[in-house]
Amino acid sequence: MIVLEYILLIGVIVCAVAAPLCKRLLASVIVYMALSLLMAVLWSLLQSPDLAITEAAVGAGVTSILFFLTLKKIRELKGTDDE
Amino acid sequence: MSKDRERARFTRRLTAWVDGEREPKDQTLFVMEQHPPRHVRQSEEEFQRREEDRLRKFFNWYPIAAAVICAVLVAILLTTVMSMPGFGEEDNPINNEVSDRYLEYGAEDTGSENVVTAMIIGYRGFDTLGESCVLFLAVAAVMILLLRDRKNTSELEVRQIERDEAEAMSHEDLILKQVAWVLIPFIFLFAIYVLLNGETSPGGGFSGGTILGAGLILFSAAFGFRRMQVLMNRRRYSAVRTFGLLLYGVLYGLYIFIGANGLPNYLTGMILLIDLAVGLVVACTMYGFYALFSRGEI
Repeated sequence: MIVLEYILLIGVIVCAVAAPLCKRLLASVIVYMALSLLMAVLWSLLQSPDLAITEAAVGAGVTSILFFLTLKKIRELKGTDDE
Repeated sequence: MSKDRERARFTRRLTAWVDGEREPKDQTLFVMEQHPPRHVRQSEEEFQRREEDRLRKFFNWYPIAAAVICAVLVAILLTTVMSMPGFGEEDNPINNEVSDRYLEYGAEDTGSENVVTAMIIGYRGFDTLGESCVLFLAVAAVMILLLRDRKNTSELEVRQIERDEAEAMSHEDLILKQVAWVLIPFIFLFAIYVLLNGETSPGGGFSGGTILGAGLILFSAAFGFRRMQVLMNRRRYSAVRTFGLLLYGVLYGLYIFIGANGLPNYLTGMILLIDLAVGLVVACTMYGFYALFSRGEI
């Protein structure tokens, strides 16, 4: 279990560093979403399932959707019709 | 007399400002590119050159400043973490009589097996009332900013939206539709399960409400806004949202006055209802954000 925790922690750090360094905003949002998912698994490993459920739904789900919508509004979704 | 007129004028100006017909007074703060007044303005090339110079300087200093601020922040946070007691040790300051009390009497006091729910809804219910109000007000603020009506929508925007909608109708996303068709019942089922089982298992109002909101968002994204309006139009949305908050206020008021401090606990089933109220508010907040961000209407 402890190995899995370390792997997840490294993943969280990598995502956290990568999110602001991405060139494309869409990639940033997706990396941020991955960070939230890893955090959700970590929360459940730390025995706080309440937080894990909320983190998965809010962090990975709703926040990312709001970011995607904002990107669509400002015409930053590359590779779609908006370009 | 003149005071009345003054007030009427103020009200009219305020309404105009809220409706977006009148600009706030000082806008120079928000303008990035500042042209000097015409009579002292240098030639266009000169201005261009200076502007480029300014930008280049900015972009040279920006990474350095960002790195310095980041390093300082990381240093401060790391020092704080280092000085904190270790995770899960026995003589940590968090292991005091308060958490003992919660763990020991939580189920008895509030009728909730899950200590987290007992704390959020029971012991710290007043906090949760504040949080629900924050969510309610957040949606209200987003509505003020983004809700479209006759007054703040130009014809160009209306045509743009119609074009987008027609395009979305002509390119139906088959994968999204089929997956949503399969998934949505399970998402709603899971949401209701989490909502109703906040007392005995992980979950409760906030998580269940969020999952419910996510399900609504998926439905709206997959099957379109028109079909969503059959389920939830603006009146119904406002009614549900307000009902959730009011229900919470009334129930928690009852909870405080009838059930607190040594009085016999008649209200074991109350946690469930309060959870439902919180869930309604949260779900409405999530869906409201999505609808307002994407279309500016509910």
